[in-house]
Amino acid sequence: MSYVIEAKGLSHCYSKGTNQQVYAVKDIDFSVEKGELIGIIGHTGSGKSTLISHFNGLLKPSSGQILVNGTDIWKDKETLHNSRFQVGLCFQYPEYQLFEETVFRDIAFGPKNMKLSENEIKERVLRAADYAGVKKEHLDKSPFDLSGGEKRRAAIAGVMAMEPEVIIFDEPAAGLDPKGRKDLIKLIRDYRERTGSAIIIVSHSMEDMASLADRIYVMNGGEIAMQGTVDEVYSQGEKLRSMGLNVPEITEIFASLRAKGIDVPANVYTVEQGTEILKKLMGRCSS
Amino acid sequence: MKEKLIEFKNVSFAYEADGEAVPETKDALKGVNLDIYKGEFLAVLGHNGSGKSTLAKLCNAIYEPTEGTVSVKGIIPDTEEKADEVRRIVGMVFQNPDNQIVATIVEDDVAFGPENLGIEPKEIRKRVDEALKSVNMYELRHREPHKLSGGQKQRVAIAGVIAMQTDCIVLDEPTAMLDPKGRDEVMQTIQRLNKELGITIVLITHFMDEAVQADRVAVMNSGRIVMQGSPREVFAQNEKLNECGLDLPQSTELCKRLGIKDTVLNASECVEKIISMLGGAV
Repeated sequence: MSYVIEAKGLSHCYSKGTNQQVYAVKDIDFSVEKGELIGIIGHTGSGKSTLISHFNGLLKPSSGQILVNGTDIWKDKETLHNSRFQVGLCFQYPEYQLFEETVFRDIAFGPKNMKLSENEIKERVLRAADYAGVKKEHLDKSPFDLSGGEKRRAAIAGVMAMEPEVIIFDEPAAGLDPKGRKDLIKLIRDYRERTGSAIIIVSHSMEDMASLADRIYVMNGGEIAMQGTVDEVYSQGEKLRSMGLNVPEITEIFASLRAKGIDVPANVYTVEQGTEILKKLMGRCSS
Repeated sequence: MKEKLIEFKNVSFAYEADGEAVPETKDALKGVNLDIYKGEFLAVLGHNGSGKSTLAKLCNAIYEPTEGTVSVKGIIPDTEEKADEVRRIVGMVFQNPDNQIVATIVEDDVAFGPENLGIEPKEIRKRVDEALKSVNMYELRHREPHKLSGGQKQRVAIAGVIAMQTDCIVLDEPTAMLDPKGRDEVMQTIQRLNKELGITIVLITHFMDEAVQADRVAVMNSGRIVMQGSPREVFAQNEKLNECGLDLPQSTELCKRLGIKDTVLNASECVEKIISMLGGAV
């Protein structure tokens, strides 16, 4: 099996060897296949950010390994350096990290560090701007003249311009209004379709996760508490709640209907899906 | 007759760049009239850049209107003294819990506000304890804030405002960065403060399921208030909400799509409607 990213027995420990020793993540086995879309959920402080900071070598494991395309990224300096371009990390509120004079230069920052030719850089910037929905006329503007949503897209384009094999998004839609949220989800979905790139999303939005992820890892207390498909994970509502999470409102509605003896499926995560099922059921009742 | 606490009269606001007003800034307010009543729970909705945060910051004199007046209990904060007075009536809680905690121990952080008001130590002690109890953080009063969860930090920030004994708390997207449990904790706290202590709540949010918990909802678009009413009145108008870049709570939307005429606001109402619609046939 070819994994883009694989964590093997990964642990990260703060204040190791002292009496304050604490594991931020412990014994994590985690893998992402080529082109897969993986969701990571878990309450604040469950270790999600610590985990993803290992994927491109921002943190060094206390024990265990991180493999990118089968190679341990801590093997030597060059491998570590290259992992930064293979694995793109898009932090929460990435718009706060814009700094260049123009949007173009900001998006070009990553490719420039990859020592690509001027032409290649330009091509990549334009391609990434297109993927991220950054308008052409904005490229020559200062990033600080853009609206919040436009800034976020510019920041995302900066990661996409490195054309990494996997992009990690940490809470990509935090702070966005409902339309902005939907647009961003669509952007990620389109990007994946067009590039075949693997994607990891960290989010608190159980709704967004249900509509996007192929597989989900649930973190709790620094460990992987659950993993599986959306169906496998979301069918355990009680367990999720005990870990400070929940299921989408629509899923809860269907659970209540089932509890009242109505014959509907449990694995309903979107309003569209729910409407269809209930309409059929009502049609059957009236005929 | 309901008593007005905060009154926006024909308020416009424009941000300045290089000392000059920027006429077309998105966050600007244009001719806003809004009354916020004592003891109510008002939710303010609107897309990013619609002017919600500007509105919030006008409530306790962080900003001054470019035109019109904002008065709090009849006070127009046109001098520093009056602005201070207004800030003793209206407190603010912001989005990022990490940006508003100043002390290294939870109870010291809560005491920061009352200390600045020059209140005597004995009274501060009493207020801090009461405030922490009211947000369910009393047990954790000796903890270090940076070791708390996001929801706990936000509740500490809320306690800090309560300890100043403000009549009103304005919360600007307080749950945007929280996990589901943290969101629940903060929403339950807000409800309790409103219902049990009678504190006026103004909640700015992007979450529709939070807005349905309010007494009244105001919707902003392009710097204006375009809708106002009870959650049931506002969420009945899905097309208008869509135009404003907003959507419906999932329960409301499901029932609408099923052709159920009444506007439902939560999962249990929704389940009830569906069951009665399926009737005895199941």
